[in-house]
Amino acid sequence: MPKSRRIAWCAAALCLSTLAAPARAQDDATPAAADTAVVTHEQLLRVLEGYTEQIQSLTNDLDKLKKIKFSGYVQARLEHGEANADTVKVSGSPYTATTANLNRFFIRRARLKLTYDTGALSQAVVYFDGGSDRTVRLLEAYVTLLDPWTAMHDHQLTIGQQNVPFGYEIERSSGTRELPERSRAENVLFSGERDRGVKLVSQWTPQLQTTVGLFNGGGVNHPDFPNSDPTLGKDFVGRARWSQGTFDVAGSYYFGRNLVPLTGADVVTEKSRAGLDAQAYWTLPTLGGGTLRGEWYLAHEANPDSAKALIVAPTTANPVRLLKTGANAAHLATDAAGGYLMWVQNVGDRTQGVVRWDAWDPNVDADHDQYSRWSVGANWFWDGFTRLTIAYDAIRTETKAGTRWTDPQDNLWTLQVQHKF
Amino acid sequence: MKFFRTLPLAVALATLALAAVAFAGRGITVKGSDTMVILGQRWAEQYMNQNRGQIVQVTGGGSGTGIAALINGTTDICQSSRPMKQDEKLKLRDRYQTMGVEIPVAKDGLSVFVHETNPVKDLSLAQLKQIYTGAVTNWKQVGGKDATIVLYGRENSSGTYGFFKDHVLDGRDFAASCQTLPGTAAVVNAVSRDPNGVGYGGAAYTKGVRDCPVRKDAKSPAIMPTAATVRDGSYPLSRDLYFYLRKPAQGDVKKFIDWVLSPAGQKLAVEVGYYPLK
Repeated sequence: MPKSRRIAWCAAALCLSTLAAPARAQDDATPAAADTAVVTHEQLLRVLEGYTEQIQSLTNDLDKLKKIKFSGYVQARLEHGEANADTVKVSGSPYTATTANLNRFFIRRARLKLTYDTGALSQAVVYFDGGSDRTVRLLEAYVTLLDPWTAMHDHQLTIGQQNVPFGYEIERSSGTRELPERSRAENVLFSGERDRGVKLVSQWTPQLQTTVGLFNGGGVNHPDFPNSDPTLGKDFVGRARWSQGTFDVAGSYYFGRNLVPLTGADVVTEKSRAGLDAQAYWTLPTLGGGTLRGEWYLAHEANPDSAKALIVAPTTANPVRLLKTGANAAHLATDAAGGYLMWVQNVGDRTQGVVRWDAWDPNVDADHDQYSRWSVGANWFWDGFTRLTIAYDAIRTETKAGTRWTDPQDNLWTLQVQHKF
Repeated sequence: MKFFRTLPLAVALATLALAAVAFAGRGITVKGSDTMVILGQRWAEQYMNQNRGQIVQVTGGGSGTGIAALINGTTDICQSSRPMKQDEKLKLRDRYQTMGVEIPVAKDGLSVFVHETNPVKDLSLAQLKQIYTGAVTNWKQVGGKDATIVLYGRENSSGTYGFFKDHVLDGRDFAASCQTLPGTAAVVNAVSRDPNGVGYGGAAYTKGVRDCPVRKDAKSPAIMPTAATVRDGSYPLSRDLYFYLRKPAQGDVKKFIDWVLSPAGQKLAVEVGYYPLK
């Protein structure tokens, strides 16, 4: 008998005796002869088949569990704002000012995404955030249907609460972005980045992708959210992207309506946005990859400053909200513009430098309402999942002090650690 | 107040300095394709024998796992038995601003394994597609005996799985009855014990099973995976095996890759059961 076969028989005998051990423990009268019994080929096969069935059962269960994927990230942050600028909360419009601490630790984002690949033609995602406001809120919840007609599922329909498919920056995860916050223009125009609706993404060629969608229009940060769309009609969004690999360019368009509530008949104003974005990439032999990205928005939007100027504010004595005498309701919306230009350069595999200039002008016909910012940052990747970010935002705005317009001291240091899983 | 103004910068600089020390001189890490893991280990062993002081660590896990490791920065080189997908390239670009560097390092013929007693002489790509998508379920339908076909395949993190899905199934999904196994060796083992089994995997693993010749279509000749047919591309399931990097190779990584592509490295690929690039 070859040595390998002898070893196999010994292993099988050991295996059977191990299986028989519990039974012996319960019956002391069982003779010990079983320990020396010869194991037949059939007995061995039965044992192996039993194990095979158990493994198959476990594999089936494991395959089901593998369809559930958890991912997410945590961003813990230390910020230091300049005097009078504890305020530089760069999301929301208009941003709220709270004075007191110039230095603060806080959790900017704590996100958990659950993805379930039910089958070959559909997928569901539920995504939560437990970030700065200490409450867990639903960020995204959607179902994606994949077309069964093309091998690579070139057309995908997504229904639910999701990112608005406009431009480049909105859909780029905060866990991937090189600076702590998105540009100011994006923050104002698409506050919260998400809305409820439907979108169809079509990949026509490896380079060309189009997206069209219909959304409620208010977005997740709208005061009425998650109530139904106050303007009744749905907002349209469309985008076409050409991706060459080292150079991508896209044009986006959004059309909808804003509702300005008044006592009596409300005013509905136009809400339109056009965007152009482009990204160029390069690789340097020693440093590694770099990119130059730019995005520019033109918009026609309801302007909070116009509302203040044109609407009589309600008081206790006169609790009505009406247009001032002679005011033109069409002037509640103004032309706005904004965008950014950003340079990112890797220095080796673990370090990354970034510079960005971004600007936002809520009314291109008015002065002193512009916002611009220089941001400089560095990322250091501790391992494949954790990175440290240091960033400095030099913000320029204008406020009126007496008869003079001045730039308030509201620059900001950010030190952030992020773990992505 | 000055303290707080300089604190973030100081912390960042200190962390950078610590990390630079912690990660200095950790050798070359290679991760990815299970098909290539033996090949990679043999390359590493021989390279380290010839270059004292050099450390090359090779682990498997599947091409998808290797590409994920390349993206999250936990390997220097990814071994992959399939080309990177577009979405993987975009993830790499998102993190490193590069589309990666692809280096073919050897050729392989993806074998179709059947039991040694299986009377089926050959299979066309169309028949394989029908078998693995569940349209054909009995060997009788493809010239064999009257018996239910038992499908064995790889997990979806495997590059072999991806290559077979793209080139044989035209992107369609595998039949639900296909049993997924963690490596080509496991597929070969399962088919060797199952007279009605069929599996696929790297040619280097064909032991105890029969390589089934493959026809490109019904009119084409049946071709066996051999050095000649894989190298000239006449075998329908010929493929390149790749190294992927984040950026152009430099330093120790470049030296190792240059050696893999040298006559010595290519000769070793042949010894392990694969085929040289030229």
